[in-house]
Amino acid sequence: MGFILDGLDAEAYDRQYDDRQLLRRIIGYFQPELRRMLLVAFTTLLDTLVRAAVPIVISRAVDEVSQTQSESLILTYGLLVAGLGASAWLFNLIRRSLTGEAVGNVVLKIREDAFDAVMKRDLSFYDQFPSGKIVSRVTSDTQAFSTVVTLTIDLISQLVLVGALLIYLFFVDAVLALVVLGMVPLIVGTALAFRKIARFTVQHSRRVRAEVSALVQETVAGISVAKTFRQEHAIYADFLKLNRRAFWINLRMGIVFSGIFPLLALIVAFAMAAVVYFGGLRVQLGALSAGDWYLFAQVVALIWFPLTSIASFWNQFQLGLASGERVFALIDSEPRVVQHDKRVLPHIRGEIAFKHVHFSYTDKERVLENFSLHIRPGETVALVGHTGAGKSSIGKLIARFYEFQAGSITIDGVDIRALDLSAYRAQLGVVTQAPFLFDGTVRENIRYGKAGASDAEVERAARQVGNGDWLKSLSDGLDTEVGERGSNLSMGQRQLVALARVMLQNPAIFILDEATASVDPLTETLIQEGLDAIMKGRTSIVIAHRLSTVRHADRIIVLKKGQIIEEGNHEELLRRGGHYAELYNTYFRHQSLEYIEAQRKPDVTPAN
Amino acid sequence: MLNAAKSEFSVANAYRYDRRSPSRWLIAHVMRYRWFFLATLLFYIGTYAAYTASEALIGQAIGTVIEPDSLALLPTIALSILGLKLLDAVLSLLGVLAIEVIAQRMEVDSREELYANLLGKSQTFHNQQRVGDIMARATEDVQQLNGMINPGVAITLESIVGIAVPLVFIAMLRLELLLVPVVFIAAYLIAVVGYVRRLNPVVRRQREQFGKMNANLEESISGIEVVKASAQEAFERRKFRIAASLFRDFFVRQGYIEARYLPLLFFGIALGLAFMHGLLLYQQGLLRLGDVVALMGIMGVLRWPTLASFFSISLIQAGLEGGRRIVNILNTETELDQNSGGYKQPMRGEIAFENVSFAYGRVHALRNITFSIRQGQTVAIVGQTGSGKSTLTQLINRTYDVTGGRVLIDGVDVRDWDLDALRSQIGKIEQDVFLFSRSIAENIAFGVPDATQEQIEEAARMAQAHDFIMSFKDGYRTLVGERGVTLSGGQRQRIAIARAFLSNPRILILDDSTSAIDSATEDEIQRAIRQVQQGRTTLLITHRLSQIRWADMILVLDGGELVACGAHEELLRRSPHYRRIFARYDVALPPLEPVPIN
Ligand SMILES: Nc1ncnc2c1ncn2[C@@H]1O[C@H](COP(=O)(O)OP(=O)(O)O)[C@@H](O)[C@H]1O
Ligand SMILES: Nc1ncnc2c1ncn2[C@@H]1O[C@H](COP(=O)(O)OP(=O)(O)O)[C@@H](O)[C@H]1O
Repeated sequence: MGFILDGLDAEAYDRQYDDRQLLRRIIGYFQPELRRMLLVAFTTLLDTLVRAAVPIVISRAVDEVSQTQSESLILTYGLLVAGLGASAWLFNLIRRSLTGEAVGNVVLKIREDAFDAVMKRDLSFYDQFPSGKIVSRVTSDTQAFSTVVTLTIDLISQLVLVGALLIYLFFVDAVLALVVLGMVPLIVGTALAFRKIARFTVQHSRRVRAEVSALVQETVAGISVAKTFRQEHAIYADFLKLNRRAFWINLRMGIVFSGIFPLLALIVAFAMAAVVYFGGLRVQLGALSAGDWYLFAQVVALIWFPLTSIASFWNQFQLGLASGERVFALIDSEPRVVQHDKRVLPHIRGEIAFKHVHFSYTDKERVLENFSLHIRPGETVALVGHTGAGKSSIGKLIARFYEFQAGSITIDGVDIRALDLSAYRAQLGVVTQAPFLFDGTVRENIRYGKAGASDAEVERAARQVGNGDWLKSLSDGLDTEVGERGSNLSMGQRQLVALARVMLQNPAIFILDEATASVDPLTETLIQEGLDAIMKGRTSIVIAHRLSTVRHADRIIVLKKGQIIEEGNHEELLRRGGHYAELYNTYFRHQSLEYIEAQRKPDVTPAN
Repeated sequence: MLNAAKSEFSVANAYRYDRRSPSRWLIAHVMRYRWFFLATLLFYIGTYAAYTASEALIGQAIGTVIEPDSLALLPTIALSILGLKLLDAVLSLLGVLAIEVIAQRMEVDSREELYANLLGKSQTFHNQQRVGDIMARATEDVQQLNGMINPGVAITLESIVGIAVPLVFIAMLRLELLLVPVVFIAAYLIAVVGYVRRLNPVVRRQREQFGKMNANLEESISGIEVVKASAQEAFERRKFRIAASLFRDFFVRQGYIEARYLPLLFFGIALGLAFMHGLLLYQQGLLRLGDVVALMGIMGVLRWPTLASFFSISLIQAGLEGGRRIVNILNTETELDQNSGGYKQPMRGEIAFENVSFAYGRVHALRNITFSIRQGQTVAIVGQTGSGKSTLTQLINRTYDVTGGRVLIDGVDVRDWDLDALRSQIGKIEQDVFLFSRSIAENIAFGVPDATQEQIEEAARMAQAHDFIMSFKDGYRTLVGERGVTLSGGQRQRIAIARAFLSNPRILILDDSTSAIDSATEDEIQRAIRQVQQGRTTLLITHRLSQIRWADMILVLDGGELVACGAHEELLRRSPHYRRIFARYDVALPPLEPVPIN
């Protein structure tokens, strides 16, 4: 029942759990809440019985009071009805409070498990699945699941109520009870048919809403262009057409949704008339008391609401289960990077060796084939090559973000698979192309490189990058808020923060994927100066996009399709006139002084 | 006149709404469909009357049925009940339809109004708004108006009618019987107010906490590479656990509050008391037994309206809030004056800043800037992000007005220029080039819709865009954007340059901060920019050393001040900032002369 993914995207790690597995899993999470759940069940039962008793008591009272009109009887019945109402409220209170606690705890546990599972995955997982989807599994899917659990408990209590009443009715008058029962399939059928129509109209409406949003978005984003060129009328006409269409589609949806209840009420009307008529006949025959007849009429009014909710709820129930299933699939998926030992190297010298490494992200293409490379401690190596040559992949393998398929990678002669990852990565400094900053201050972001570093240490690290000149351009210095993902800072400033972070971390190995983003020349200079400071005396692997980095590297590794085809320093390689010379012409030439000097503007004749 | 605000765009025969306050505006929107509203009200009264009458009739039926020989009456009673119930259903359907129309029109009308209004707002206004904000208003806020009407107002109406009508029926049974229901309703109203007051903050904080938890998680996952590389998984886990537990706490608290919903208790007790009251009156012979049963049926009618109305309160609140935000936008004056009697001549392109200062509110963006540009010159503006480069260019086409000093074009203060004449002769290419999701040709010809294909291609050639455009399968008819090709920054920029060629401005402001990774692209961008500079005064915000190096003049901004100004050689001699940049190229730098800028 849980495998109805209902138009929601399935992911590669999704699996189908059969009902029993799924149920066992859910029950497993509820195990610690056993006492609460038992209490919930108990109060649900009491609540139901009390609520079912109200119409029954009223009907009894009508019968009895019509016989003997004693005051005490009236008082007793009146108070009884009020008392029943009050205790129903009380039981309901207990039930709902306990349900809230239990569901809250269970969902918290599931969320924590899901989060832990996510954190254990290696980067191949994150490549495959966009972060938004992972987030929605951990938060929204669990939320949907909890809503369904709550609703299910609610619904069960309503159903028990209807069931209890129906059973009672059968004892009172089986024939009339059958008449009432007759409307059940009608209501359920209508509600099911309604679901189909509803889904259709909702889809249309959602689509047209998305279209309207897209159009408005485009207009607002491009308003300056529209204004400079005075095209407002054309744009408005487009909008009007779409907006009018949106009206009709939304109206249709609105009508379908608000129309369903009156429609079901029609069915109930017939049932009610039937009960009144046949009930009246049976009262005349003496087969039924007037009070019981009233009871039947009440039940007809009572029964249809839960029935409608079951029908419309069924969908939600399935979605909720599917949500649960998605979360469990996330928890159960297995990481590919597996360490077989937990060795800690206290002081890494920074010798890195790739021996006959085979590596691919997917089965489709080999990225590195029989790749061997030896990097000496303290060496600065620049990796160059066309896009897709495998430069970044080498960096990622050193960081142990991915699992490789064959060969070996050793750090200071120790198999990378045998290292304690936490301890190893603490000695690894990584700066990515578009550095990621966490919402918070610059100081906090720098400190991320070394938890518990003192303010003075943070400050010293910041000063080591570009002489600390970059701090002046921040409004509050180190206490500047960087904003979501660092959006308050310019791209260049973010890189500087990332460099300071690495500076503080003081790693043995430094891996840099140079940014391609364009940065103002002064900031660029500061970044370069920062890099010089970091690379000094550390093993550095740089995926190079800047001419100055390549020029200052100890060794340039030229890659092509995962193979090393040339090695050496800038001058040697340029002289050789091979692949590197071609790369130079493609990627680096325009950064050279010669190029800058050659770009003299042709003489301009002033406009008259 | 209600909407006499200045505007750059207006729609003929548009319906005018009262915008003096959000509530008036909302009422004006509803009143546009007053007949529908009236119809809703009448249908609701009808539906509740039929519903209550059918319940009363069931009670009466009991009284009748107990009598012997009433068999003949039974079909009539059953049919009457059927008729009333059917009437109830049909009227309620009609009522719902009527209010649904209002709700949907509300959404569509207000979006239309907002949209037209946005088109009429000045560029200043749009520069100050974030796209996301406006989007939220045009989509979410107007949708909230929809929800406010149906189910918000619909349920409220239903509650009022659904309480009033049964009370009338009860009073018709016997006036004293009103005692219990009226006391109940009073208690109910008080309880609901308290309930909403307690629930609202918890729900809000729960929602906020959910947002925080989400944002937290999103951040951890987006930054997973940093998290892993810094071995900070434990730290992230702790952060998430704290956020998730806080959410759980709010969730549980909301559960407690909802569980304590007092009106439910009151209703249960009222039912008992009303029953007792009815029976007592029956015992005294003041009421028939059938009436007692009818009373209970009618009391049952009260259940839904009283239990549901609190639900509509939050919807109406949200709608009012949305309405307020929309009216705020509608009523924002655009301070723009067209200045249509102003200076209106072909522009030569001389620019002069005289002691110009500018502040965004209290944030000083530019201080005391003075320089002048001759016609046809190319000027590079350099400086770190936030140093005031874009602000400076925005003062030239009067996107903003200076707060001190003055900006002159061709010797005339920009504030004395006719705004149309000024802006139409100043072109601007932004860093994030905006292209519409249309064909490339339409994008190039956006300002000159009647341009011929030859003119378009000519412009594209000059902008070095022709070749890459032709490399697409559909050439100039290629669609841009989601449904078409995704263009790189450099390609978008060249299309924008082509667009500028077609409209041919005298002053061109070009934000050229796009990066080029390869030399070939760089070559083409350089060539395109050089082409477009020809014969115009050009201001370049650029990071390219090759452009800075060869500009006629370089303005170096730092923290809103002009710290250096001059040509390359001059700056190498004077500006330590500037020297540091070129120092990396191991060029022989001239000795530094500590000369202050004039
Ligand atoms: N996360 C990934 N998932 C699947 N394939 C990838 C991934 N990253 C890179 N690739 C592929 O691996 C090859 C090498 O990529 P990469 O190491 O990024 O090259 P470079 O850094 O030289 O541009 C490319 O063909 C690329 O498409
Ligand atoms: N719309 C605005 N409202 C308030 N402050 C702004 C606005 N636009 C820019 N600023 C501030 O003005 C200063 C100059 O910004 P800007 O001209 O955009 O610099 P640049 O173009 O050099 O990056 C910055 O401190 C910036 O934060």
